Amino acid sequence: MASTAFERGRRRSPAATIAIYLGVLVFAVWILLPVWYLVVSSLITPSQLGIKPFPLVPASVTLDNYIAVLFGNTGGKGIGSTDMGTRLVPAIGQSLLVSSILVVLNLFIAGAAAYGLSRYPFRGARAFELSVIATRIVPAIAIIGPFFVAFRVIGVLNTPWALVISYNVFTLPLAIMILKNYFDQLPREIEEAAKIDGATRLQTLWIIIVPIARPGLVAAGVLIFLEAWSEFFYALVLTNQLTVPPLLAGFQSVQQFNWNALAAATVMSMLPPTVLVLIFQRHVVGALTAGVGK
Amino acid sequence: MAGAADLLGPKADRAFGLKLVAPAMIILIVLLALPTLLTLVYSLHDVPASGSSFGPFVGLENFTIIFSSPVFWRSAQVTLTFAVGFVILSTVIGLAMAMLLNQRFIGRGLARALLIIPWATPWLVIGILWKWFADGSVGGLNAVLMMLGLSSDYHPFLSDPNTALPITVIAAVWRQASFAGILLLAGLQTLPEELNEAAQLDGANWWQRFTNITLPWLRPVLITVTVFNVIYAFLQFDVVFAMTQGGPGDTTQVLSVLIYRQLFINTNIGLGSALAVILGVVALIGGLTIVRLFYRRELH
Repeated sequence: MASTAFERGRRRSPAATIAIYLGVLVFAVWILLPVWYLVVSSLITPSQLGIKPFPLVPASVTLDNYIAVLFGNTGGKGIGSTDMGTRLVPAIGQSLLVSSILVVLNLFIAGAAAYGLSRYPFRGARAFELSVIATRIVPAIAIIGPFFVAFRVIGVLNTPWALVISYNVFTLPLAIMILKNYFDQLPREIEEAAKIDGATRLQTLWIIIVPIARPGLVAAGVLIFLEAWSEFFYALVLTNQLTVPPLLAGFQSVQQFNWNALAAATVMSMLPPTVLVLIFQRHVVGALTAGVGK
Repeated sequence: MAGAADLLGPKADRAFGLKLVAPAMIILIVLLALPTLLTLVYSLHDVPASGSSFGPFVGLENFTIIFSSPVFWRSAQVTLTFAVGFVILSTVIGLAMAMLLNQRFIGRGLARALLIIPWATPWLVIGILWKWFADGSVGGLNAVLMMLGLSSDYHPFLSDPNTALPITVIAAVWRQASFAGILLLAGLQTLPEELNEAAQLDGANWWQRFTNITLPWLRPVLITVTVFNVIYAFLQFDVVFAMTQGGPGDTTQVLSVLIYRQLFINTNIGLGSALAVILGVVALIGGLTIVRLFYRRELH
């Protein structure tokens, strides 16, 4: 144990303690104020919204806005005078579909590639790895033109497939980078032991490595999901408000659609990624920071 | 698939590695290399609005048109202003948050969970959230300013040409500072406590420890974070699109929004692609400059 003198040396002055708690207060306000504003907006009526100043602590709350966007009773009419609210639940479904397909697909493809790069480097492997990293700089916006043209020709515009295909542009490099870092950290002795026991390379990968690498695969999966769930630009251009982000943007441009209902829809769009990240917080932060500073 | 060949030496190992990487490689060539190449080709043609053919080859004419257009230069200026504010604020606020959350205090675990929320929030949602938060009639920001006695009435921040760009920067920083904070906090957690304790015993004050121990220790993470911030700064679309769509006037029309307008509203694929090429090159140069800048300072 540390000596008392040592402990005293580590103790903070009262001034430092006050400064830290003031800092924490500022930090909490910076993060929470916009979120609090959003949540309150989603729980009050349009007439409460009109009060100046905005009621940060509302006198009463209601779930009407959530009911309106979930069951299509927002009063905001879209094309063909269907209620805009009827489109949120299907969009959440499409977002989940696209994100889930990408997670599964990318874990297989990126997992195999990352493992190959980590354990069985071939001529050009390093160059490939560097170009994968470099793709993070290629602006997705810059290459949307060819996608739009090609997808119109093969007729997948406005289908989930347009997004499942194009999102690989950012999810696949991300997954390869994260999993490569992860495999690099795994000890090689296990594979050598398996090899001595007569296992083939493929058996080793599938039966031994995949179960051990589960934390890394989970982290990569969460990050792929996050990117796919959040993506807006491709979904805006390649589909007609198929997934949640372009639909939310569409809500904004409908005149009768009020902020209360939009706030409720926005809260629901934030829930899946936030809950997922908070559950897997340690995995995700670990994976995110593993390759930093190399 | 597997068999006797699997027991062979490095040559078989290399072949196996290539087999594992091949699917990803093919997908990235088809989905990334090919469209990048096509965008370059488009940028040299007068592509018809239908996009069904390349149209006539025009050489560098698209670029000449862009570089002689005041709309482009105005947009470049807006992009640069946005980028400088975004990079500096995201990095500095991220560093401040990381250093704060590295201290011992009650509720630290909860505070670290809070740090993740803005990062987990989709860019577009951040744009929508801040658009309304800064709204001139129902906004929360105005309410707070009024309650604190800092303003007497609601101010329409996003329709005021003087405040629209700063507010979009702050909205984007709200997310990116959290990302920077997460990475920098992880970097700080690996800093051996003995270093600071020894310096403290030698009588180094807080500022001296910050500049002589913390900053040098964080240098590699700071480089990564800053490069990410630069790239996100130049490629930002969602936040600006959700908040202002480039307005009022052209005060927030960053290059990505201009590209969107050229490609999909004016359906000018050739010009839009040329703009995209310019933006890509600028983002690349920006990122590389940061790396060079940091490493050069390290040499001195």
